[in-house]
Amino acid sequence: MNILSIAILTAALLLIVTGLYMLVRTHNMIRIIIAVEVAMKAITLLLAYAGWLNGQTALSQAFVVTIIVMEVVVAVVAAGLAISSFRKNGDLDIRRLNKLNG
Amino acid sequence: MSAGLEFVLLVFMGLPLLIVLINNLLKREIAQKICLSLGLIAGIGQMVAAIVVFVSLNAAGQASVDFSQFWNLTAGASRFSVDFFSLLALFCIGMVVTAGFLTAGKTIGDKRFNFTNLAMIILLGMNGIALVTDLFSLYVFLEITGVASFVMIALNKEGNGIEGGFKYLVMSAIATAFILGGLAFIFMQSGSLLYSDVASALSDWQNVDQPALLIVAFALVLVGFSIKSGIMPFHGWLPDAYQSAPAAVSVILGGIVTKMAGVYAILRLTGDIFVGVNLVNQILMLLAIVSIVLGAVAAITQTDFKRILAYSSISQIGYILLGASCGSAIGLIGAMLHFFNHATFKTTLFVNSAAVETATGTTEIEKLGGLQEKMPVTGVSSILAFLSTAGIPPLAGFWSKLLIILAVWQTGNFFIAGLALFASIFTAAYFLRLQRCVFFGSAVEGLENTKEVTGGICLSSVVLSVITVGFGLLFPLVLLFVQSQGLI
Repeated sequence: MNILSIAILTAALLLIVTGLYMLVRTHNMIRIIIAVEVAMKAITLLLAYAGWLNGQTALSQAFVVTIIVMEVVVAVVAAGLAISSFRKNGDLDIRRLNKLNG
Repeated sequence: MSAGLEFVLLVFMGLPLLIVLINNLLKREIAQKICLSLGLIAGIGQMVAAIVVFVSLNAAGQASVDFSQFWNLTAGASRFSVDFFSLLALFCIGMVVTAGFLTAGKTIGDKRFNFTNLAMIILLGMNGIALVTDLFSLYVFLEITGVASFVMIALNKEGNGIEGGFKYLVMSAIATAFILGGLAFIFMQSGSLLYSDVASALSDWQNVDQPALLIVAFALVLVGFSIKSGIMPFHGWLPDAYQSAPAAVSVILGGIVTKMAGVYAILRLTGDIFVGVNLVNQILMLLAIVSIVLGAVAAITQTDFKRILAYSSISQIGYILLGASCGSAIGLIGAMLHFFNHATFKTTLFVNSAAVETATGTTEIEKLGGLQEKMPVTGVSSILAFLSTAGIPPLAGFWSKLLIILAVWQTGNFFIAGLALFASIFTAAYFLRLQRCVFFGSAVEGLENTKEVTGGICLSSVVLSVITVGFGLLFPLVLLFVQSQGLI
């Protein structure tokens, strides 16, 4: 393993840990969406790195671009749900999402 | 390569898109009137196409067809392919979507236009999951299915729907991150994500440069798909999503969507890709048995009709994965047949819950009672579906569970086989409680004037019950067919 590989893997790990930490800590819907996006960026980094390792850079670039597009769609739907929830409850706190249990 | 079958790809992938187009190009008043019929056409068309492909494959003695309309097969690009298991899945999808549209006629109200659009996108996504031969395309279709389901759960924009939808979305996004992370590590090793390439790259996985990375990859992919299929340690979102969705949506969602997005993908992984990886099978077997037992135990204490069905789904998904985790042909066959049976009886039960909700306005079982006399069709079909779920012979569920437990017994895990058998008692327990509270006894106050639902809901419960009983009675023929294919 050379220094670049270690740097990329460390960066990816840090991004994933950051995303998951945010996900656990926050109660705000928008921040949850951002946390998920941050974690996904680490995944795109890993895929690009994988393509660089095995020489399939074109394939991995196609993967990364597709993932970015799909993530935007998910983020838009999530934001739509957050807006609906905001109109209903007056804030973005996920602790209000507690009516379903059992 | 049978050229005559190229048209079916147009049915599976083109028809849903065409209906979305027609639906949106028409004037809104006309679209509101005909959209549900268009959806029915898509569902029924898909069932017919699946049967046609099955018959012609069988006549030609082939096991699968590759489709090459849009690209050159020799280039090794990702492509669509159909085999017997995808056909079974495609048939189930068509059946459940048809039942969903029949249910929607009475329950969905003025949301029918949006419902049709979203259901067609879900149909497209699920067909894609069944047809692809490439792990990355699988991810793309998973996301298409997922995004449309999040919106569908929140279709009525009321509090519960938004809550269920958001929980599903967040869990699904985390699952996607896990799956893609695992795929990245596998991609490092294999250089391609085609099922066949990944399978050959992993056939000797202990002897690669960094086997530790591959173990991480297996764990990530398995956890990701476990979240998507909602098996027990990862099930938090599933009952909420099922309970909060509008009636017709929960038929489609509970009947097939989570099964295609999670379970079908796991079956493909264990059957086609991780063939030589025992580690995955062992972990999966453990997850499956936990899911079977705890899902059934959790279902006993629930008080909402749909929530009981959701926990029952968790438990039954455990059986499907248990069959898949045996690594033997008989286990996989049992898993596939239980996949079909689960789609049938769980759809019946969700249709019944929709009928009860339409007739009485609630799904809380404490407020219901004595509906058997008022709603005979719903009552009888739910009893049949519940007997099939609990595995009572000669109904369909008995046979597939039998195959699964036999397969587990063959692997030498007698304790797990016994536990899986024993959990059927819990299944009977929670369903008997459900039946007693909702259908048996005398009518509770306020429900004396309940009338049996008519039309589509009634029709789909009758047809699905006939399938459950008929499939059970004709099961020896199915086994003979499987044997003639040389699978067991």
